[in-house]
Amino acid sequence: MILPKFNYKKAEDIAAAIALYEKAKGRARYLAGGTDLIPRVKLRLSTPGTIIDLKGIEQLHTISRQRGSLIIGANVTLFELKNHDVVKNHFPALYESLDATSCETLQMRGTIGGNILQNTRCLLYNKSLEWRTARGFCYKMGGESCNVVPGASECFSNYCSDNALSLLSLSASVNLAGPGGERKIKLEKLFSGNGRDPFTMRPGEILTEIRVPVKASSGAYEKLRVRNAIDYPLLGVAVSIRNGSGRVCVGGIGPAPRVYPLKDLSKTSLKEVAQHARQEAKPVSNAALSPGYRKKMVQTLTQRAVKRALKEEK
Amino acid sequence: MSDDLNIVGKRVVRSDTLAKVTGQARYTADLKFPNMLTAKVLRSPFPHARILGIDLSRALKVPGVKAAISGFDAYGVKWGVFRYTQDHAMLPTDKVRYVGEDVAAVAAVDEETALEALSLIKVDYEPLPAVFDPEEAMQEGAPQIHEAYQNNINIHVHIDVGDVDRAMAEAFLVREDTFKAAGEAYAMMEPYAVVASYANGFLELWMPNAGPHVRAKALSNLLKMPLNRVRVRHIYSGGAFGGRSEVSPGDLVASLLSIKAGRPVKLVLSREENATSTRQIHDMIATVKTGMSRDGTIVAKDYRVIYDGGAYSSTGPIATSIPFYVYEECYRFPNVRYNGYRVLTNKGIRGMYGCHGRAFLAGNESQMDLMAKELGLDPVDVRLKNGLSSGEMTATKSLITSCGLAQTIARASESTHFKEKWPKAKRGKGIGMGCIAIMCGFPMGFRSGSACYVKMNDDGQATIVTGVVDNGQGNESVVIQVASEVLGIPMEDINLINADTEATNLDPGAYSQAATFVGANAVRVACENARRKITAIAAEKLGVPAEDLDLKDRMVFSMTTPDKKMPVRWIVREAFFRGDPIAATGSYFPKIDIEREWVSRPWGQMAGTFSFGTSVAEVRIDSHTGRITVPRFTAAHDCGRPINPMAVEGQMEGSIQQAGIAAIMEGNLWDHGFLLNPDLLEYKVPLACDMPEIDTIIISSMDPEGPFGAKEGGLTIRMNAYSAIACAVTNATDALFTELPLTPDRVLTILERKKGVKK
Ligand SMILES: Cc1cc2nc3c(=O)[nH]c(=O)nc-3n(C[C@@H](O)[C@@H](O)[C@H](O)COP(=O)(O)OP(=O)(O)OC[C@H]3O[C@@H](n4cnc5c(N)ncnc54)[C@H](O)[C@@H]3O)c2cc1C
Ligand code: SF4
Repeated sequence: MILPKFNYKKAEDIAAAIALYEKAKGRARYLAGGTDLIPRVKLRLSTPGTIIDLKGIEQLHTISRQRGSLIIGANVTLFELKNHDVVKNHFPALYESLDATSCETLQMRGTIGGNILQNTRCLLYNKSLEWRTARGFCYKMGGESCNVVPGASECFSNYCSDNALSLLSLSASVNLAGPGGERKIKLEKLFSGNGRDPFTMRPGEILTEIRVPVKASSGAYEKLRVRNAIDYPLLGVAVSIRNGSGRVCVGGIGPAPRVYPLKDLSKTSLKEVAQHARQEAKPVSNAALSPGYRKKMVQTLTQRAVKRALKEEK
Repeated sequence: MSDDLNIVGKRVVRSDTLAKVTGQARYTADLKFPNMLTAKVLRSPFPHARILGIDLSRALKVPGVKAAISGFDAYGVKWGVFRYTQDHAMLPTDKVRYVGEDVAAVAAVDEETALEALSLIKVDYEPLPAVFDPEEAMQEGAPQIHEAYQNNINIHVHIDVGDVDRAMAEAFLVREDTFKAAGEAYAMMEPYAVVASYANGFLELWMPNAGPHVRAKALSNLLKMPLNRVRVRHIYSGGAFGGRSEVSPGDLVASLLSIKAGRPVKLVLSREENATSTRQIHDMIATVKTGMSRDGTIVAKDYRVIYDGGAYSSTGPIATSIPFYVYEECYRFPNVRYNGYRVLTNKGIRGMYGCHGRAFLAGNESQMDLMAKELGLDPVDVRLKNGLSSGEMTATKSLITSCGLAQTIARASESTHFKEKWPKAKRGKGIGMGCIAIMCGFPMGFRSGSACYVKMNDDGQATIVTGVVDNGQGNESVVIQVASEVLGIPMEDINLINADTEATNLDPGAYSQAATFVGANAVRVACENARRKITAIAAEKLGVPAEDLDLKDRMVFSMTTPDKKMPVRWIVREAFFRGDPIAATGSYFPKIDIEREWVSRPWGQMAGTFSFGTSVAEVRIDSHTGRITVPRFTAAHDCGRPINPMAVEGQMEGSIQQAGIAAIMEGNLWDHGFLLNPDLLEYKVPLACDMPEIDTIIISSMDPEGPFGAKEGGLTIRMNAYSAIACAVTNATDALFTELPLTPDRVLTILERKKGVKK
């Protein structure tokens, strides 16, 4: 499959990137590692007139510590991040999710910013234009219905970032810079919950950095997949615990991850969280394993992740 | 045959290795010719629709477009492997029968132009009701896909030996179970590609194929062109596994475009097109009824198997038969009835596969284990008791001439401590065994045999010319190794011309396990004939009898007085002087019953010989998630004498991946007529990290007919590795599977059913 024609621009700094975006009148896409974007463009799921390459922006490439936070530039690769001392020593959930992301080859190319901002997925959506045209366009392609759940009024595509889940469990926040200025939001505020357009990013905004409070945590990441590498999560559960309380984050089902606080570590509240997460999960037949199974596994893997996190805690 | 061989049986570096590891090997998509055009195919968006009209005129007006075609530009000939299955026009003019079917095509100066032109082709369709489930398709009133096949039953293979009903009634233990399996994808690394070049009335073609001669013949029919004008050339192939055995719509498309444009045309399918629009593997529903006597002897088998054939016949009669035959070639069935139905549906065409039949075979084997257990036997006992041995006849009257089945069972079970582990299985841990036999070659009329031509060149090197084709399994290296052994010259002294219909002779092709047994046998015979010419001259020159002469390291020497020797090169030159150069032909035709026919006469000698194999899988099951892991896999294979043990082991390892580990993850997913996983991300081919520790055991049974005693390498493991996995799961759960692949959701259901948990 060949790429369609587009303009390719490389930005030197953030301001220049935003200026390029404005010049392209919104028909532009930012490019980091390209592992999500390029396949989408090939499939004609995204048809940007201009692609603005952010890889040359030095500022987005750094990891630093400031006022008790680890500041991760959006262009840091998953592999670099996985091998960073703070991640290894303080954020076990993040370390595990990074390690479980696809395979090392991809980790060396894919960035953390791109990982968080990867689009949602569906077996009936990530297909060639010919396939989709024959099947008929669904909501996420501008059509009038969902092809998986006829009659539904929403899109159930799945958000498949492994690492957003562990970052959420670690109470991360993100910095955005755009034509309208800069803002800082909690990571959970980045998700719209709408499968058609899963992020709350404003046009032209660039994700510049991810901030994670540096406090030692215990944690774990559990991932449901068929093969031991390459596969996207069919379900992901991240747990991080700090000083007797923590956060559980469930993703891979539906367009936005869900966060559950662990107020205490009593057996009953742990059980409640796992059950609650299961009840709330609404998988549909748009991924490799059956929806009933994926729903059941929400509870199983949540329990498993919590158990592992607690083991470390002791 | 003496056992002190120099080259055969040795772990030699394959002749194609260097080209492949250095990236020098050229595949079809790598070919570039002056003025070559790029082709693109317009495909059906409907699973079933009448074609009311196809308008190519706007496409033809796009600058850079040099040709556009549809079925109306073809010759109205339909392809079929058999006379009674000629139903595939390749480019239909009446109706489309699956999503992705080839409808029209263009050739242009580049891909972008071709894509633009495609979008301008107008096809008028009248959508028709479609059917996707084979059992529904068999019902009265279901949409009829071809007029010729009532109730969409494309092929019915009926075999009835002995008195099944009586034996079943008298059996001590009877069990009937139904097993399903999703069809697989060949998932060969090379998506289909073809280059066609028409000039001066000759059509040259390059494409991955498993039999250049049958391919050329099919195209000569489809194009109404004399066979000598269609030349299929040699090219490296990136995998076949049964998926490249027949002529493909792309071959016709590229040929028609090249004929129209008068320029070479290259068509390369995308990964998605390769999955949706080239043949894939049958979904299957197998009902297996078995009667056993109190001592575990199988007294009767009664089968009903439904194969989802997709839209056309393809290799239908063969595909509907093979799972049964490989099983009856392994075990003794005094009474057996087989009803195999290949049913047409509005899905992509289904073809033969190296691992074809997993629902049927894994179902049989795991059911046998449960029955044996009930009778107080273990899987080893019951297999040894029912397994065939040398000198016996199969139920459909094939004589087994060499058989290492019992040894494969014994060696595989010893090395895994099977007999100790099996009774101690606990929830979450199991061990299982699968056995099978495979015919090496099968009747294909006058194409069942192979012929080879060998000539010695002036420096004492040789050129061998054979139709044997290599799809990556190492057939080229095998024939070179055989020639090297016979001629006493190193492998690097041998030039191979193969799989080129202009130069090479007829050969069965690489899809009936015949390449070594038949093709290399012909090479052996040709080289022996050349060798006799060499020794005749040498005997004269050295003054010793020809029988005393041997060839080794480029020398002819006397075995009794080794000082008496001379280089082969001298003899070759001497022969040139005498005006009678050293050159020879040789052929091999297997001892088979040529009257045998898949549907009308399913009995008689199937093949010249049979190979055997036993696989043992050890599995762990996560009782909370149902996830299977396979820590260890052992495979024992009677391949006759291995020509190159390293290559045989490679085939066995690949088989463990492609059939064994695949049994827990691979399967096509469908949304009505739409294939949901036509890619390598959602179609789960096992990865390196999913692979078990592997132990391969070669049982060298020395076949009396095979070249140096060889049979075939690896296919038995492809046909029993899934059985070992399924049996291991049965051992761990004490229950039968109902559907393959054994993905964690299905395994969890088995565990919960056993525990009595509600969903
Ligand atoms: C075979 C395969 C398997 C995969 N498996 C997994 C997996 O198991 N788990 C997982 O989590 N992911 C998986 N992925 C997704 C993979 O794309 C991400 O993991 C990767 O990190 C994305 O990063 P990137 O830099 O390549 O993103 P890009 O493709 O460059 O960008 C992704 C999106 O983010 C936007 N973007 C990127 N950077 C910025 C920025 N700074 N500001 C604003 N917008 C930006 C782009 O415009 C694009 O829309 C897989 C991908 C492939 C191809
Ligand atoms: S869930 Fe429905 S609407 Fe969303 S991408 Fe899949 S088919 Fe389209």
